Amino acid sequence: MNGVVVVTGAARGIGRAIAEKLAGTGPITVVGVDIAPELALSEHITPIQVDLTSVEGPALVRETVKAAGAPLIGLVNNAGITRDARLVNMSDDHFAQVLEVNLGATYRLSAELAPLMSDGGSIVNIASRAYLGNFGQFNYSMSKGGVVGLTRALSLSLAPAIRVNAIAPGLISSEMSLAIPEEIRDKMVASIPLARMGTPEEIANTVWFLLTPLSSYITGEVIVVGGGRSLS
Amino acid sequence: MSGVIHWAEEVGDDWARVRAELTRAFEVSRASAQAEESLVYVVRQDDLLGRRGPGNAMVATGLLSAARTAALEGARKGWTANVVAFDEGAEREAVHAWAQRLLDSGDVTGELVHLGPGHVGKTLA
Repeated sequence: MNGVVVVTGAARGIGRAIAEKLAGTGPITVVGVDIAPELALSEHITPIQVDLTSVEGPALVRETVKAAGAPLIGLVNNAGITRDARLVNMSDDHFAQVLEVNLGATYRLSAELAPLMSDGGSIVNIASRAYLGNFGQFNYSMSKGGVVGLTRALSLSLAPAIRVNAIAPGLISSEMSLAIPEEIRDKMVASIPLARMGTPEEIANTVWFLLTPLSSYITGEVIVVGGGRSLS
Repeated sequence: MSGVIHWAEEVGDDWARVRAELTRAFEVSRASAQAEESLVYVVRQDDLLGRRGPGNAMVATGLLSAARTAALEGARKGWTANVVAFDEGAEREAVHAWAQRLLDSGDVTGELVHLGPGHVGKTLA
């Protein structure tokens, strides 16, 4: 692996773990979207702050990739937000915000960067196990379901040069999950066969698998990393 | 039983049209939930598999996930949410009849009903 990998939402949580994992593997330059310059995590990480929901945002990422001077070999669409409410109470704004960040930005950045990607490149979209349905997350669930469809469509249109896959994390220890009230979180953990939350590093390991030739015959798939929760 | 049958519209690959279609589905679904009425989304099987481009795929799979979440929320109030996916060439009346059957049943919720064999041997939706 030698080239540039773009990781969105790289400032914290799962995205940070992905960026650190990649930056620690050798000749990879990571373009970490959402990382402030003063928070650069490694000399191998180029920080950039852009609004991916704007028209200009994806174009700025493209220019940063070009300036890196190495082939683009990977894109990890990780940035995401939640604005939870029951459907009956969900506001127009909270629906629109989640859809735009989780799905719209993923689509636009993929469309912007795919033409730059070298043969053998890999796109990994971070969906969520919520695409299987999750109470109080109509907007989030719909957006992540859309990411699954986007993954399938791009895997067909970009084959055979570029592989496109998705990861559907379950309950992962991060700012997003720690915002869940402790009592509810404990109940969620109790329903996970592996009896714990996952770690950002476990998602980063799966990203690594999908970015590298270890997964060279896999495209258009969704890998659920959820401790068995989809069965319990 | 009363309820709403929502047919996914063609959107092409323009994000603005995808956003508008998913927003339309959200508004319909929220109104349905507030009225405690059941809901069926109708999509194309090919779009669940991403065969007709990213725009239509995002809409179809987005609606499937939305139906699953709506089903969880509706179960507490006695209304249902399901999806019917049809193959190319299916007759609209036949598709509508299956959607109506799901609305009428009141027992089936969170399900994806495939009309035609297009899903067989393909990925789980």
